[in-house]
Amino acid sequence: MRAFDRPRFLRVFVWIFFVFLFAPIVLVILFSFNSSRSLQQFDGFSLRWYETFFESESLRDSLIASIQIALITMVVATILGTMLAYGLVRARTRWSDTANVLMLIPLVTPEIVAGASALLLFTQVGLQLSLTTIVLAHITFSISYVTVVVRARLAALGRQVEDASMDLGATRWQTFRLVTLPALWPAIIAAGLLCFALSFDDFVLSFFTTGESPQPLPVRIWTQIRFGVRPTINAIGTFMLVISTLSIGLALLLPRLLGRRESGLKVLLGREGA
Amino acid sequence: MNENRFATGFLIPGGLWLLLLFVVPVVLVLALSFGYTDDLGEAIYDTRLDNYERLVDPDYLPVLFRSAGFALGAVVLCLLIGYPVAYYIAVFGGRWKNVLIALVVLPFFVNYLIRTYAWIAMLGDDGLVNGVFDTSIRFINTPYAVVGGLVYGFLAFMILPIYAALDRMDPALIEAGKDLYGSPWETFRHVTWPHTFQGVLAGSVLVFLPAVGDFVAASLLGGPEEVMVGNLIQQQFQASDNWPFGAALTIAMMAFLLIWMSLYLRAAAREGKEATA
Repeated sequence: MRAFDRPRFLRVFVWIFFVFLFAPIVLVILFSFNSSRSLQQFDGFSLRWYETFFESESLRDSLIASIQIALITMVVATILGTMLAYGLVRARTRWSDTANVLMLIPLVTPEIVAGASALLLFTQVGLQLSLTTIVLAHITFSISYVTVVVRARLAALGRQVEDASMDLGATRWQTFRLVTLPALWPAIIAAGLLCFALSFDDFVLSFFTTGESPQPLPVRIWTQIRFGVRPTINAIGTFMLVISTLSIGLALLLPRLLGRRESGLKVLLGREGA
Repeated sequence: MNENRFATGFLIPGGLWLLLLFVVPVVLVLALSFGYTDDLGEAIYDTRLDNYERLVDPDYLPVLFRSAGFALGAVVLCLLIGYPVAYYIAVFGGRWKNVLIALVVLPFFVNYLIRTYAWIAMLGDDGLVNGVFDTSIRFINTPYAVVGGLVYGFLAFMILPIYAALDRMDPALIEAGKDLYGSPWETFRHVTWPHTFQGVLAGSVLVFLPAVGDFVAASLLGGPEEVMVGNLIQQQFQASDNWPFGAALTIAMMAFLLIWMSLYLRAAAREGKEATA
């Protein structure tokens, strides 16, 4: 692509950008292994902050709570979002176009609006704030992500394969189960893992809808940061980073492992066929 | 069974879920914004405008302007940083393209709180920079820190759509610009920029929306002079327990954001139509 101009400073600029992008994260990871409390100098390798993390029963409960929330969110949101995507692409009704756009609104709603309104709803219907309310809120705001990702895959798929299956005598339901669904798997799995990562990392929604205990990890981190910088946060942060990166890495790699040619990144961004 | 009816059935569970857990709560917030808090601290639905009148109170109005200003500053900075990066990766990335763009996205899957906290650890009064250089520069608790936190928080939302637009663009267009004796700058201005403008617009909205409503950056990186509307809303719903006023703040913010949201949704609808056509 020689056609584009290549200003010389651009390369340097991008390098500096990446340094600034990663410096804080590298710092957190590095100092999570520091043997002293200091955040200014590294006094030798140690796992003491991880020990503090895992020896604290309440932090362990929070970690388990976070994982439970993310798993349930992943399963429910993926099912609902996939169904929604199928309906949006295949059903031709008068308000298809409108529905296709309305479905994006949760994605562009600031989280604080989502959190405050969910809190209000739960209070109004007399639902005790707990892990359940967090899950309900998380699912609501994950459905749209799944729909966007799966919808793109479905649109790229076209309906010829489905037509062929029907011509061969399959019922609608058999076609969906045996033809459509297998073709959608890479997108569905990628979307599910994305939901897991988003839910596991979410702070704002959880903050508004959490009960007393156990609280999900990000809410605990918030409390700890407000009480001042503590080295344990480095360890918690690094640990969460590993879990999120694993789920996103899987989301990027799985389509390829499943023997498809398309890039996981494209599947994840819902940009297939676009 | 007819295909339409079969497919429409699939819309019901998700549609119902979003109706009950997204639409209904927002309507409740709207309704409560006309309410008041009684002497017992109980939120009562009503039809008053008191909460909205309070918005223009000198205690609160500057906060609203500040939020819009900080968010706009974040958008401009994200664009200034994000466009060149997206350009470099899309055009010169070659076979590293996907790796580079994945590297851009990766940090955004580190918890937002941790990322913000990392800046405190680095730039705080007794943070790494002040420690290593033995200085006592005040970085944190300034407006710059808050805007910087927002930029660091949402930069990927700017880079990805611009990258997508650049990636789709046909390099032959640039050749054409050159053939017509366009200077590099003219070619950029008349060819590249208009072709990626949709991406810039999408990125700007995707940064602006979460930035306006953010309360984490201002809480952790700002002092009392940097309070944003998100902090006010959070305080009303949690600390000071004045839900009707919190609801009015939420609705006012949403109304302001609707202009931006509809801009984005219109573009997305166009793209969605192309994709599903």
